[in-house]
Parts: sequence; structure tokens; C-alpha cells
Amino acid sequence: MAEDKKLSEEESLQLITEMIHKVKGSFHESGTSAILWGSVIGFCGLFSFAQAQFNFTTGWFDIWLLTLIAIVPQIIISIRESRKRKVLTYEENAMNAIWMIFGISIFAVAFYNNVVPAVTENIFANDGIELLQKNKATGVVTAFHPFIFSVSSVYLILYAIPTLATGLVRKFKPMIIGGFLCYLVFIISCFTTYKYDMLLHSFAAISNWLIPGLILRNKFLKGEGC
Amino acid sequence: MFKELDPILHSQLRLAVMSLLIAVKEAEFTFIREKTNSTAGNLSVQIQKLKDAGYVDVVKQFKDNYPLTTCKITQKGITAFEDYVKALQVYLQAGK
Repeated sequence: MAEDKKLSEEESLQLITEMIHKVKGSFHESGTSAILWGSVIGFCGLFSFAQAQFNFTTGWFDIWLLTLIAIVPQIIISIRESRKRKVLTYEENAMNAIWMIFGISIFAVAFYNNVVPAVTENIFANDGIELLQKNKATGVVTAFHPFIFSVSSVYLILYAIPTLATGLVRKFKPMIIGGFLCYLVFIISCFTTYKYDMLLHSFAAISNWLIPGLILRNKFLKGEGC
Repeated sequence: MFKELDPILHSQLRLAVMSLLIAVKEAEFTFIREKTNSTAGNLSVQIQKLKDAGYVDVVKQFKDNYPLTTCKITQKGITAFEDYVKALQVYLQAGK
């Protein structure tokens, strides 16, 4: 391209259009992060379901701690991808922000779920109130420890938000379908017990991230964008 | 009366660079070179002119012991580009 070639007005407009069009095809999502989180959450959900179904424990190790461990490979993936990246589009920048906010929100809900029941119990205790529950069949009265009802449903709503946003912005059908499925699963989870909530979690992770991630990976390896 | 087209932008390679940068948050020098199909020396000179005009920010750093130049359009550059496109539209409409 000549540095000082003077252009006609039509040529200028054509050049602007051509360059903007070239940028559009320059970003390719590898799908690695989606595969990682789809696998981890999918596995944790299935494992928790199996634990509830077959009544076994893993001692002090809560299987969901795997999500904390998975942050390490996620950081490595993010660093590697940012090193390879030659251009940062506004769209990619916005998507990164959405997923980062999603991550923070997940940990915020986990914090809420772990802290609020104990705090609630303490507030009642400080006011001299003890919460009790009565078994209507036996008449036995025992202490009631507060907990957050169907917290799994809240997680499912959170899963749907960045997935659907990404799918709609990138016009990537598997994630749009995954996002809507996640809302459907959320509605179902409002009527199910913990055991089946875990199965629904697994289903949501696989349909939201693992399957779209594998499709993205396949496209990435073929050199196509989503 | 026609507004004069900005001479900084009204050149093939500089306009190509600005058109790329207007569409992205930031881009590496090698990316711009690939997309504009220009030589490194030629591109460096034109980016320097855009930088001198205050239209782009250039950050030079090292990545894995190799120099890495990243370019980003400035607010002044965005305004100049928008004015340039508006002026082009006036020219094209007058030509119809």
C-alpha cells in the first residue's frame, strides 16, 4: 500500500469499508475456557448428584472446591491467549468484562450462601430467639438452622446471563440455545430437591459451555470465527 | 462550500490505519501491517505522522524479549475520522 497515494472520495470510502470489514474476521474464540468450565461444573454437578443418590461422602473435600482449583488453568489460558492476541476488539473487551463480572458474582453468591444462614441465626440468638422445627408426624421439636432455599436456582440464572449475552453478541447459536435452556432449567429447579438441582446444574454446564466450547474449538482449529 | 479533507487522513496508508483502529480498542503493529499489506518501514513512518498529529497513541514494550508496538486511536483521532467521513459524504452527495 502506497504511503502518500492521494485518493478520490470514492476510493477513500471504499478503503474505509474494506478495512473495517477486515477487522471483523480477525477474532477467533478458541473455546478452551468454555470447555474447561463446562467440564468442571458438569462433573461437579454429576458427582454431587451421585453423592446424594448413592449416599457417600468425600470427607472434608467438597467436590465444588474443584471450581477454585480450575481458576489456575483459567489464568494460564487467559495469559496465553492474551499473548497470542494481536488485536483487541471492543466486542471482545466487552465480553471479557461480562465474564469477569460473572466470575465475581458467582463467588459473591457462594459467599452469601455460606455466610447469611449463620449470620441470621446469630441475629436471632442475640435477640434471645431460637428457631425450632417440629416434625408433625412424631411431634419431635429440634433446632432449626436457617439456610438459603434453592440457592442452586440462583446459580442457574447467573449461568444464563453471560452465556446468552455472548451468544447474542457473537450471533453464536449454540450459546443462545444454551442460555435459553439454562433459564428453562432454572424454572424446573424451583420445583426440585437438591439432588436433582445438581443434575440440572450438570446439564446446564454441559449445554451452556461444554458443547458450545467444543463447537468453537472445532471452528477455531479449522480457522473459522463464530 | 466544501470543507477541505484532512490532509493527514487523506492518504491511502494513513486512512487504512485509522480505519482499522477506529474499529478496535487496540492493535499490534504486526496486525496493522498484515491487514494493510504494507512494509514495516513505510508503516512506521505513517504511524509516526498520525502520532505527531495526536490521532493515535503508540505504546512500545517488550514481549518475550521481542519489541512489541501497540497502537490505539485517541479521542482527537476519532473526532478527526468522523469529520473526515462527514466531509466525504458531502463531496459524494455533491457529485451525484
